[in-house]
Amino acid sequence: MKLVRAWSTLASLSFVRLFWSTSTLMVMLPLAGCLLFVLRRHYNHPEFTQREFREFSEFLIVVFASFVVPVCALAFGTASIGGDREDRTLVFLLVRPIPRWLILLAKFSATLPLVLGIVLGSYWLYCRLAGAVGQVAFDLYLPAITYMTLAYVCLFHLFAVSFRHATIIALVYALFMETLIGNLPGIVKRVAVNYYGRSLLYAAGEADGARMPEGFQPLSFVVATWALAGIAIGGLILACVVFSRREYRDLT
Amino acid sequence: MQRAPHAHFSDETHHVAERPLLLEFEHVTKFYGAVIGINNVTCHVGPGITGLLGANGAGKSTLIKLASGQLRPTQGRVTIGGHDAWSTAAKHHLGYSPDINSFYEEMTGREFVYAMARLHGFSRTEARERTEHVLDEVGMADRAQRRLAGCSHGMRQRIKLAQALVHDPWLLLLDEPLTGIDPGGRREINELLFRLSGQGKTILVSSHILVEIEQLCSSIVMMSRGRLIAAGTLAEVRQMMQHRPQVIQIVAEPSRRVAALLAEHQDVLAVEMRDPGLVIKTRNPLDFFARVGELVCEQGIEVRQIQILDAGADAVFDYLQQGK
Repeated sequence: MKLVRAWSTLASLSFVRLFWSTSTLMVMLPLAGCLLFVLRRHYNHPEFTQREFREFSEFLIVVFASFVVPVCALAFGTASIGGDREDRTLVFLLVRPIPRWLILLAKFSATLPLVLGIVLGSYWLYCRLAGAVGQVAFDLYLPAITYMTLAYVCLFHLFAVSFRHATIIALVYALFMETLIGNLPGIVKRVAVNYYGRSLLYAAGEADGARMPEGFQPLSFVVATWALAGIAIGGLILACVVFSRREYRDLT
Repeated sequence: MQRAPHAHFSDETHHVAERPLLLEFEHVTKFYGAVIGINNVTCHVGPGITGLLGANGAGKSTLIKLASGQLRPTQGRVTIGGHDAWSTAAKHHLGYSPDINSFYEEMTGREFVYAMARLHGFSRTEARERTEHVLDEVGMADRAQRRLAGCSHGMRQRIKLAQALVHDPWLLLLDEPLTGIDPGGRREINELLFRLSGQGKTILVSSHILVEIEQLCSSIVMMSRGRLIAAGTLAEVRQMMQHRPQVIQIVAEPSRRVAALLAEHQDVLAVEMRDPGLVIKTRNPLDFFARVGELVCEQGIEVRQIQILDAGADAVFDYLQQGK
């Protein structure tokens, strides 16, 4: 019972601290940019058209899912443990009678709802503002956006426990691996989470008019879903193992 | 606790206090890559206040980090009440006040200590009661409503101490706990530590201010270059050094005659006239004191005062460090 109380205290404490952190301000910038874009394009036609759906899908897949979602996951995912590490307050958690892997799970449990709330909340808002095409897009792309968010949050927790300056390394990863490698032709793009997410998104929206770029060879919906689930679960388990075993010599 | 000078202590076992043993280092070696932080340290720290002394780079911080389960030994074992210091079970018994000056700055002192109590699994009511009690103990009850970002260094030290005490641990590891605290505050904290020590708690205090350690601690652990060079009570450590040359001030009448008589003694290395009395350097203090006794009885010399000038922890530490 004591452990449950300690764990839930840590999770809620972490949630509050993350919410009121600079990460929240940081993610507001791309989210506001997307909002301005949606407002300016006036998608809000009362009737569904394939052309408009294609354009809105492009925005969602290329800008929102491929850039904004990883940035949101990165900002909070690396800050959950990395923030305590950089502020040198992690030592106050490590000397408490909570197993280290549970400390990480508490941090993850605080981060995931926050990132999902921000990502899915803003996604809902953009779709709402986009009128008829937005309503169709919301239902179609919701599972893919959710899986991508989950995979990114887990992956960036692994970064946070593994690297001293996790935010910088995660940024380099997001820009280089996700944006550059993820858009290369051939098999090399499979190292990017983005590729599996886009496979899901295109598979979901193709029938209604979403057009995938030339040369993009998507995986099937089932394979891409399993790949994202594997990245999420594998990343989280690996992060727990690393955090449980690792010495953090820079804490005091 | 006796040993020949310059012997390697790290291969021996030092009982700083008798059982029940709480914090144990057994042949502990810690490497940082190719650099050795701690070299084959074996010692037991039991109830009472033990001072951890050493110069920068001596291995104090590594020892504290190993004891608080932040690091794992490369070789050997560190246990708290029989539990591996790295384990969660050991953390129930451990209260740790680090030497860093970082907190959840947005919180008040009271909120921070309460949060730490909650992280030990206490209910809201119990955590609140413990927080108030411990804030009162460290003298912060009336000032804990201030945000930590705006607290002075001394106040932050007290809050650090409070969070270490809030779950009433058996073992307290305090890294430089008195730094930044004013003399009055030091007295209060010392009194608190004496009280806790009286309750049977094991307290390991790391400090570079040797006078503090002398006033506070019943036992000391001395580190130098990653090795344990001495452990025991201050008296025991002094006893180790009975062959160390010592400087003794003696005020006796007639001083010139006393100087002449003492200078004849084979173990007296130097005699210097000072006001008041004489300053004598001897290679064998025990024989020297015996000789002074003889002079009092045989020559009718009146001795008003005898004082060892270099018996403090500073001198003890310097001597042992040079020996190593």
